[in-house]
Amino acid sequence: MTTTSGDKKENLVMEHLVSLTYHEKLTPTLNRFVDELLAGRIVGHRCPSCSRVYVPPKGYCPLCVVATGPENEVQCRDRGIVTGFTIITPVAYYGQKETEPFVYASVLLDDADSPLGGQDIVGIPHEQIRMGMRVRAVWKPEGERTVEGISNRGWGGLGSVVEAFEPTGEPDAAPEEYMEHIF
Amino acid sequence: MPATDIAVIGFAQTPSVRDDARSEVQLLVPTVAEAIEMSGVDRREIGFTCAGSCDYLTGGPFAFVQNLEAAGAWPPIAESHVEADGAWALYEAWVRLQEGDIDTALVFGSGKSSPANPLELWPQQLDPYYLAPLGVDPASLAGIQARALLESGKATERDFAEVVARSRRAARSNPNAQLKGDVDADALLAEPYFSSPLRRHDLPPITDGAAAVVLARGDKARQLCSRPAWIRGLDHRVDPHQPGMRDLTTAPSATLAARKAGYDGGPVDVAELCAVFSPQEIILREAIGLPEATEINPSGGPLAGNPVMAAGLIRIIEAAARIIDGSANRAVAHATGGQLLQQNLVCLLEGE
Repeated sequence: MTTTSGDKKENLVMEHLVSLTYHEKLTPTLNRFVDELLAGRIVGHRCPSCSRVYVPPKGYCPLCVVATGPENEVQCRDRGIVTGFTIITPVAYYGQKETEPFVYASVLLDDADSPLGGQDIVGIPHEQIRMGMRVRAVWKPEGERTVEGISNRGWGGLGSVVEAFEPTGEPDAAPEEYMEHIF
Repeated sequence: MPATDIAVIGFAQTPSVRDDARSEVQLLVPTVAEAIEMSGVDRREIGFTCAGSCDYLTGGPFAFVQNLEAAGAWPPIAESHVEADGAWALYEAWVRLQEGDIDTALVFGSGKSSPANPLELWPQQLDPYYLAPLGVDPASLAGIQARALLESGKATERDFAEVVARSRRAARSNPNAQLKGDVDADALLAEPYFSSPLRRHDLPPITDGAAAVVLARGDKARQLCSRPAWIRGLDHRVDPHQPGMRDLTTAPSATLAARKAGYDGGPVDVAELCAVFSPQEIILREAIGLPEATEINPSGGPLAGNPVMAAGLIRIIEAAARIIDGSANRAVAHATGGQLLQQNLVCLLEGE
């Protein structure tokens, strides 16, 4: 306990630090996704009702409210479109490892309907990154791939298996191609 | 003046299991879909949705938001969430239906206890000055309550064992139960203490699970269900948060909730009580004033499966199921929250 000065009385300050431990296994849906990712393949689930493809697979379609499983699995090409992005200038706080401005982009893979969030874009100056830009995955070499950061409560990450996306140099996609898929 | 024409017309629950590999929303998707299908309501026409869950269980802020995908991401819905058992979500939906402008509501509750350590997690719901820093866990508190009950002369350790034996036997006919079997009190009493005077079987199992209910009002309920389970009364009350400030052998808030829900101790065919520790069934029976003849926890109750945040809603489901299938005409369902029956909800259900 520590004390601080008040007007007349001393205020008591009691520190109560809480640490809770959780042991959570990846869901069977994400387990399969991770195995495929480590092998260099990106898979999703195609909804049997509306045909939308979710990457990573959710195990269900939130629009149709139907469960999906291995029988709905599809493989996606590792290239797509930047549908949105932010350049983040980091401020120092506990746990922050970034010191320089970095990219947080959403990438819609060519065969998917749900964009991947939080992707890095490399090979192009930050000020030239734009919506509609066509990109391809930059894979880490096998043996260096880890799935750290992929969790059941994630927002569509690819761990460190795909380091980033880089421009393909192809002409930009028209807004109509991705306007229904912005995240 | 509470409306009396709101009924349970659809429900579903996952089996209670120790560790379900699916995420909470993955548990909910088929469960919600099954409840809606049973009700016959078109999902897109549901007037209000309310969910109950606990982000501490999931271990992430705003974890409850993802669960909403089980209600369908399109079309837009009017929804709410309670950081409590799904029974309290049902209460909010029942109040909302009384506005009279909507006919149907969807309610769900879900929780996975497997990722966290309950003995470490649950002290966090206690007051942050005196009890939480001590790490007083639910089993220790329940031991204190059980000891008080023994010393009051209201119950014996054999009574606790009889509750467990009856629950496990009843659970044999419940396909969703986690713990079931033909056990007798003598064998249970030979077990060592876990949190004296409680033995391990006096505690609820650690469970993952989810449940969903569809409510409908008036003619809509009659049109969709041949025998709706009408909610005649529903109320919830609280006792002081600090366990040292009350007589732990009683639950005045359960008594008050029952009376406010319109239950006066009269005949009732079945009661589903959310007694998560065996002595609490004895306390609740007396507090609610249930007659000897009433069948208690024919599902096996929380001692046979305790998906936290769904266990109370499941009591309403089990009671409503007995009304809907015609095997009961009047039922009491109870849910609880907090520590040692601090918060209590009572729902009185009847057939036509």
